[in-house]
Amino acid sequence: MEIVVCVKPVPDAETRLRAAADGKTLDAEGVKFVLAGYDESAVEQALLLKESIPGSKVHAIAYGPAPRTEEVLRAAIALGCDQATWVDAAGDSSGDPVTAARALAGVLAGVPRDLVLLGKQAGDDESGIVPAALGQLLGVPDFSCVVDLRWDPAGTRFRFQRPVETGVESWAVPTPLVIGLQQAWNDPRTAKLPAILKSRKAPIGRTTPASASAHSLPEKFELPPPRTGARLIEYKTPQEAAEKLVRVLREEAKVFP
Amino acid sequence: MPDFSLTAEQEGLRDLARKFARTEMAPHAAECDRAGRFPEEIYRKAFELGLMNLNVPTEYGGSGLGVVDQCLIVEELAHACGGMTTSVIANCLALEPILLGGNPEQKDRYLKPFCAEYHLASFCLTEPSGGSDAGGLKTRARRDGDDYVLDGEKCFITNAPHASLYTVFATIDPELHHRGITAFVVPRSATGVTPGKDEEKMGHRASSTSTVRFDGVRVPASDRLGGEGEGFGLAMRTLDQTRTPIGALATGIAQAALDHAAAYALKRQTFGKPIAEHQAIQIKLANMAQAVHAARLLTWHAAWSIDHGAKGTLESSIAKCFASDAALHVADEAIQTFGGYGYMKEFPVEKLLRDAKLTQIYEGANEIQRTVIARELLRQYA
Amino acid sequence: MTGPTVVVGEVADGHLTGPTLEAIGVARALGRPTVGFVAGAHARSAGPEFARYGVLEVYVADDARLDSAPGGARVGPLREVLASTGASVVLAGGTTNGRELVGRIAIAWDAAAATGVTELAAVEDGVRVRRPIFGGRATESRRLTGERQAIALRPHAFPSPAESPGTPHLHEVSPGALPAPLAAAERTGVAPTVRGAGPGLTDASIVVSGGRGLRGPENFHLVEELAAALGAAVGASRAVTDAGWRPTSFQVGQTGRAVSPQLYVAVGISGAIQHIVGMISSRVIVAINSDASAPIFKVADYGVVGDLFQIVPALTAEVRRVRGL
Repeated sequence: MEIVVCVKPVPDAETRLRAAADGKTLDAEGVKFVLAGYDESAVEQALLLKESIPGSKVHAIAYGPAPRTEEVLRAAIALGCDQATWVDAAGDSSGDPVTAARALAGVLAGVPRDLVLLGKQAGDDESGIVPAALGQLLGVPDFSCVVDLRWDPAGTRFRFQRPVETGVESWAVPTPLVIGLQQAWNDPRTAKLPAILKSRKAPIGRTTPASASAHSLPEKFELPPPRTGARLIEYKTPQEAAEKLVRVLREEAKVFP
Repeated sequence: MPDFSLTAEQEGLRDLARKFARTEMAPHAAECDRAGRFPEEIYRKAFELGLMNLNVPTEYGGSGLGVVDQCLIVEELAHACGGMTTSVIANCLALEPILLGGNPEQKDRYLKPFCAEYHLASFCLTEPSGGSDAGGLKTRARRDGDDYVLDGEKCFITNAPHASLYTVFATIDPELHHRGITAFVVPRSATGVTPGKDEEKMGHRASSTSTVRFDGVRVPASDRLGGEGEGFGLAMRTLDQTRTPIGALATGIAQAALDHAAAYALKRQTFGKPIAEHQAIQIKLANMAQAVHAARLLTWHAAWSIDHGAKGTLESSIAKCFASDAALHVADEAIQTFGGYGYMKEFPVEKLLRDAKLTQIYEGANEIQRTVIARELLRQYA
Repeated sequence: MTGPTVVVGEVADGHLTGPTLEAIGVARALGRPTVGFVAGAHARSAGPEFARYGVLEVYVADDARLDSAPGGARVGPLREVLASTGASVVLAGGTTNGRELVGRIAIAWDAAAATGVTELAAVEDGVRVRRPIFGGRATESRRLTGERQAIALRPHAFPSPAESPGTPHLHEVSPGALPAPLAAAERTGVAPTVRGAGPGLTDASIVVSGGRGLRGPENFHLVEELAAALGAAVGASRAVTDAGWRPTSFQVGQTGRAVSPQLYVAVGISGAIQHIVGMISSRVIVAINSDASAPIFKVADYGVVGDLFQIVPALTAEVRRVRGL
């Protein structure tokens, strides 16, 4: 099984977010970029599949600028990926996921791949566009929000579930395919010290995509205003308090699922 | 010019240690401290990730790191819990005499099986009658045919109740003073080896400390490290290697104290503004930051010197002594920044003070470090 | 020239879903002609539904195969509609399927794309969108340029539109033959959504935590039931874990876990600084506490001062009601 896992360097969870001087994007100065969130889970999933399917290889690919992209690829190698390719995003500061998908597809088109695995969305922009765009670009079926991914050797297909708003779908799909993974492991593996040292010397392939002009450009990066104290819900009955609270959470705070 | 930038490898090691410290150690630090619990499951994970036998060359199954690399890891671990860190790095101390004094056959025989699995070892030098006066130790090693017979008691031995291997310093003749001291490798399974009960300690409560009794323990001469009478020099050379990481451990505690204090100062409000906006607190934080920074640089310098072939006695003593004093001071100031809350066990800073205290005492009390520093210093003027 | 806006409709139980209605409202507010598109079994039934909200031109690919095929099967018919209407914008609701379709159509139709959009405005050379990023810890505004834009909204970010009934004009779209790779994928079943063990504390988008105000472990089920209704993870204050009501792993705070969910609900938690530093970066904080002077209300966005033993069950019931549980 040739497994390709696409990852993206994202700021460490403890990063204090700040706008850059131009006010358009995150200030990346001093920010530590890591392999995290759904991407980390995708690597874990890829390695679990590799361990369960004899003769499998995992190829990690990432699109992004130096040096952070090479760093997350080395992290992927330290975890157990066999090969890594850095798609250099020099010159593209758009942060546009469609541009990223096109660049990744340019590499994917030329490498062996039965399964392309990604996190269902990146931990920074959370767009979730790349998996679906890759399916379209590669002409293979794509599925997001996938959990419980298993290889069915008898049926030579992947079986998985997809919990969407209307219910939990079960699928059986032969390769090749693109999977945007929702599964989160509470305890993904940690790279061991010798593997970390070895990964520093691993060769990382580098390619430069054909230049493309993004159609999505950042204009403003904003942080929420500081907290000023709770707005207290006024009510006469507990039911009224509950109704009012749910209403403000939905309509005003927009956090309600 | 010196270069303070870390290599990509070193960044990787530090990230691993930081991640382990934050996800595996920190969440259990308060609980282990309260209960005095020895979290063996955490130490096992540290071993599996390669964070335990840091100084052992890879050919023997260790991580094969230099002292700078060790220090980077130790500081990160200590940021989460000083006590756990002491237990994680105790193998480095216990195995160093084998690395320095063992012959190739002994290294193969001891280190390979030991490092292949999770095992703990203890460095047995200190005795109830005195720790700093290592030349005057009383544990006897009597030659009997092809064996030695060991009798005596060691105390304050880190990890002793859980260790499977001890490096033991004993004298073949007390009259010879430090020239009689000889080092041995003794397995826990040897008849007559009895670790005592876990001591109740002020700090480092996630670590385990006890006495170890040796009652007529027969040790084959093939388990002697180096020659008779070479033990004292071996112990001193061992401590020259392992003292600097104690500076890193103290720096980690100090950095944690500064982090807690600064974060708290930004949130805690008095007189209508965060206390971080009061100059009294700003001065405090600035002084703490200077102490932490200096401790780290002295530690790095000592480690760098040793990695570059220096004996490092002076540098490592300066680093250990300064960093441990800094840790105590910074932890104290962190408590003061927290005010009454800092004195409460609900907050993490009082533990830092208790943990910091030990770094002034163990692996050579700071009084001994100052004696060493003065001796090395005056030699340059004599 | 700007063309019409195409709203991609989703149907459940014979009705357009809430996210679709939200998309209709946004499309109408754009002030351009709006057409509807629905694919799948009973797609035609969506015609009158669209018309009720003022969208009279409705394109339907009425074919049950589209329900059980991978989402990519909808790209063909949708592209046909986009071409024949000369559309400028595709709008989808904030669902998994809507978001995926935007990703595919961005390629198939060569459009600029954005998802999770909470604000949207037509500008001279395209569309400006605003969307939360970093788990709600920041917001970005982007300009989608060019002649075509594909956009998925964030759920519940927009109100449903007012009704504006009219008579629908249905346009049939042939789904055509499925491309072979898609035809080989088999949907083997659909089960109603099950409520599992709930998400983990640190990656949950909603966290409900209980504190000393619950008075005893026997009352902690109140927190758990509210969490289950919200699909949230359960947390606890240090008072609770110290007292042994819940394991240490539940503790949110300086000595426990730091969380930054979209929504943090603190039940019976006074808000010791120890706790606050572990949850302050949550996007929206709700506090329920009987003590109006509790420090938790200083950091919360919304507060309910009152008896949690009455408020929490009422809130659980209300959440269940609006979520249809």
